[in-house]
Amino acid sequence: MTMDVRLLRIDSRLLHGQVTTNWAKAIHVNRILVVSDRVARDLTRKTLIVQAAPPGIRTHVVTLEKMIRIYHDPRFNVLKPMILVENAVDARCIVEGGIRVDSINIGAISFDNTRVMVTDAIAVNAADVEAFKWFHDHGIKLDVRKVSNDSSKNLWKALSEKGLV
Amino acid sequence: MSRREKVLTYMEKHALSMDQGVTTSEISEAIGVLRPNVSKELNQLVREGRIKKLNGRPVHYVVNHAVGKRKIKMEQKPNIGFAGDARISDHNIKEKSAAHKNEVDAFENMIGNRDSLKNQVEQAKAALLYPPHGLNTLIIGPTGSGKTYFANKMYHFALDKEIISKKGFTTFNCADYAHNPQLLMSHLFGYVKGAFTGANSDKDGLIQEADGGMLFLDEVHRLPPEGQEMIFYFMDHGTYSRLGETTKVHHADVRLVYATTEDPESSLLQTFVRRIPIIIQLPDFKQRSAREKLQLLEQLLTLEANRIHKNIRLNEDVVQALLGSVTYGNVGQLKSNIQLVCAQGFLNSMHNKNEITLLFSQLPPNIKDGLSNLADNRKELGNLSRLLEPTMVIKPNAKRGLPDIDSYELPYNLYEIIGDKATLLKDEGLDQTAINNFIMTDINLHLKSFYRQGNLEKTFSSLNEIVDQEIIDLTKQIQRLLQERENYPVRDNFIYAMSLHISSFIKRVQSGKPLRSISSDLISMVHDYPDELKIAEHVKVLIEDHYRFPVPESEVYYMAILLVSLKSEPKAGKVGIVVAAHGNSTASSMVQVVSQLLSVDNIAAYDMPLEMSPKVALDGIALQAKNIDQGNGVLLLVDMGSLSTFSSKLTEKTNVHVKTIDMVTTAMVLEAARKTALIDSDLETVYRELREFNGYSRTINKVQKKKNDVQKISDQREKAIIAICSTGEGTAQRIKDLLDKILVDNLIDDITVITVSVVNMKEQIAKIQQKYQIVATTGVVNPQLAVPFVSLENLLQGGGESFVSLIEEINNHTVREAEALEHSELLTEEMSQNYLGQYFTFINPEKIAKILWSYCDFIQQRSKLNMSNAFKVSLIMHMAGAIERYLTRSEMNVDDDQLASVRLEKLYPIVKQANKVLHDTINIDLSEAEVYYIVEIFNTEKEKNDTQNK
Repeated sequence: MTMDVRLLRIDSRLLHGQVTTNWAKAIHVNRILVVSDRVARDLTRKTLIVQAAPPGIRTHVVTLEKMIRIYHDPRFNVLKPMILVENAVDARCIVEGGIRVDSINIGAISFDNTRVMVTDAIAVNAADVEAFKWFHDHGIKLDVRKVSNDSSKNLWKALSEKGLV
Repeated sequence: MSRREKVLTYMEKHALSMDQGVTTSEISEAIGVLRPNVSKELNQLVREGRIKKLNGRPVHYVVNHAVGKRKIKMEQKPNIGFAGDARISDHNIKEKSAAHKNEVDAFENMIGNRDSLKNQVEQAKAALLYPPHGLNTLIIGPTGSGKTYFANKMYHFALDKEIISKKGFTTFNCADYAHNPQLLMSHLFGYVKGAFTGANSDKDGLIQEADGGMLFLDEVHRLPPEGQEMIFYFMDHGTYSRLGETTKVHHADVRLVYATTEDPESSLLQTFVRRIPIIIQLPDFKQRSAREKLQLLEQLLTLEANRIHKNIRLNEDVVQALLGSVTYGNVGQLKSNIQLVCAQGFLNSMHNKNEITLLFSQLPPNIKDGLSNLADNRKELGNLSRLLEPTMVIKPNAKRGLPDIDSYELPYNLYEIIGDKATLLKDEGLDQTAINNFIMTDINLHLKSFYRQGNLEKTFSSLNEIVDQEIIDLTKQIQRLLQERENYPVRDNFIYAMSLHISSFIKRVQSGKPLRSISSDLISMVHDYPDELKIAEHVKVLIEDHYRFPVPESEVYYMAILLVSLKSEPKAGKVGIVVAAHGNSTASSMVQVVSQLLSVDNIAAYDMPLEMSPKVALDGIALQAKNIDQGNGVLLLVDMGSLSTFSSKLTEKTNVHVKTIDMVTTAMVLEAARKTALIDSDLETVYRELREFNGYSRTINKVQKKKNDVQKISDQREKAIIAICSTGEGTAQRIKDLLDKILVDNLIDDITVITVSVVNMKEQIAKIQQKYQIVATTGVVNPQLAVPFVSLENLLQGGGESFVSLIEEINNHTVREAEALEHSELLTEEMSQNYLGQYFTFINPEKIAKILWSYCDFIQQRSKLNMSNAFKVSLIMHMAGAIERYLTRSEMNVDDDQLASVRLEKLYPIVKQANKVLHDTINIDLSEAEVYYIVEIFNTEKEKNDTQNK
């Protein structure tokens, strides 16, 4: 038995108030693991993230390397975490590192000038598309939902329609 | 006959034969009415209060006799009896109750019996009156909420109504024997001769003593499984067996009332909740109405007025401070606090024969703080103010009587002691101020020692989670013998260290493991300490006497080593630390945190209320510096620059070398305590190093430096915590297990806990240091490394969590920084602007940030909520999201139910107003769903603050 990862979610803002609270309640997690090398080094963002964590659920900010390390460490099997990453590349990195999921939830990826908008909330660049392709090839579902009770949309379809894959 | 009457008639007819109640299906079958219809009628009857629902699945219903007309007849005549000496027994009500039997309702004078405790009282009455033997009851409530008091009321009610035949309210605290199930069982159920060594004759248990009366089992979640089983059997059949008997032949008629602080959902209580039909939940102090709080205060003050036979006069602000001073301990805490301030008031008003006055200015700081606690809750304060008179006078009132015996009562009359002392001192010719000072110290000591006693018991209860009570008792016996007979000085940690040592030795013998061999090093080392060797021989004999098996000679050497290590007092010459800061408790709370974390003794605090003159402050600091000085100088840490000029004056005044550093923070005090913990550190070095430790401020330099630090650490050795016990096996192993658990819980995977024996400790540690970087130590002795040490006592008293967070902090300097940052000015408009730019596509960060920042201020002002900057930033981020969703027409969906419920929220109109401002300025109309989420954000934040404050 390994750690039971209840949700792997991509969201540029990682953890933000109501959205995370909604998910945490809906899928019964006992931890929130924010996995990002950048945030682990950025004290201000770390503070904001810990501040915005839902009540009663401990939240940790860890690096990608540590995430993979503790996933394979049987001492941490009791965790039932929701994992939040900033972008598809980070998500691919930890999944390649051995973390098992059948689907990835994509909330929002914010636009910048390397990216193009695919849906209202999701913008992708070449590296993202590469990562999403990899997930698709490995049979991992790309589930687009803001909150748990939204109806699920498939990102792969949106990417295809845009002619990106 | 209507359907409802049918149901009720059936239930009344069968009430006597089915004391566990009846289910919906049973009734449906019996009276031939469809189940859903029966269910509907039952619910209606419950609403009308004519029947009651019992806990459990399927739900059972019983007729509510509290409102019924039927009188309960008891066959047995009342006869006088009493509970055993070790327990609280109740005699003082006899006379009173004899006169008013059947007329007075014992619950009548209980505060809240028509209000916040109305349901509870009805439940209790129903439980007691339920024929033929009443229903067993579990009272649940937080510490100090009045569980014992409530059970006592139940007892008096039962007595008045002649439900129980015998006077006797027997209480038994399951926690007292929780770690010795055998002893607990023998107390409860009794034993027969020969059941165990020392059972020289048959003995009845509490159950038998309580026959015909009431037995109150407190902290029932501590009852071990064996006990639970027996109690359940007794509950079901009314019979039990004594220890050493095979058949359950004894019979007793006992009303059982249980109490616990535990959450009924917890697994510990699941069995109980299933088996006990009536669960009474007592509210905590916060939940009670302002009126009730005030009534409670009056009642408790009356108790004190009765004791001192004087009126008590107090102003509004004192009432508010007292009510606000209740933080965790509910009514019990209020009672303790009232006792403290009354003792103080008594002393200050000694000259006045008729009255004592409680003045706000004379209250102890922790009670003064109550006023600001209360002020934080405006609604509560408002409700209270409406009820308050500017001045309140409490007169002695015989009807209210003297207080019942409970754990919040001092075991002696404090007022008498104060009176006697004052007369004595006056005769000695002391002036009033001196007398007052003297006695106040005394009062504090009395109260402190009383409460510390309580604390100590708590400590031992956690110690006996890992050591058998028998061994603790034996160790205490050894401690006494050593002190009395050998005149051997024993320090506080003796009980811990010795009982853990004995425990692991006994376990080793019992498991048949080979005994430890001893090295020649050890023998030669021990021979340098002939005294300890002699004492160890004595201890060996004591253990042998107790357990009746031979203790090998090698064990004597280990014990001698343990004694030597326990004895070695921290050597003199540590640099002392005095923390002085403005504010009523700023300095002392910093010092408290640090001395708890590091268990250091070279640190003192000096609090300076704002009105204190510099002259007084200087004298006070001088005194502290003198006290803490061990001949190696004192480091003065102050909060403001003006104080930093004190150094030379202090040195002049005290002859103690003083160095001052300003801008003190908790982190800096920690750092100072760590550095001075090294024996060979001197004042100049510590001072220099600390000056470089420029807090955790985020200057570019610092960040740069930190990066280097990180690199330095990353190419260093693996991290480790050292756990030390006498042998490095038994005890240390358990400490290791405990720490491992906490480390995992904190997601720390890169720190190893290594166990070490006191023998050759230095060498072992040196060896470990080649491979590991030691980050902290714990155990029976402080190895004096330049890292935090936490004592065993601390660790076992729940200090493990703070220990680990301390380690985390030292390793990555984050925790405290984060705390400070939350309110920091860094998290301002400018920063939210940056984030807006980073994460949003369609909005203009510069313009929107300003608008949203004032949106926050708008809500803050109108709602009177306290919003941290970090919370504001996350609200702004959410609002930006909402605006962008509006612009891209991808708004959130929310159920109609939820939308309806949010309209009832207090914050709803305020958020609407704020959104109106958004409409007026940027012509954006947020939907109701968005309003819902905004209100939810505030609710979540509130929930979080509430859980943190708990």
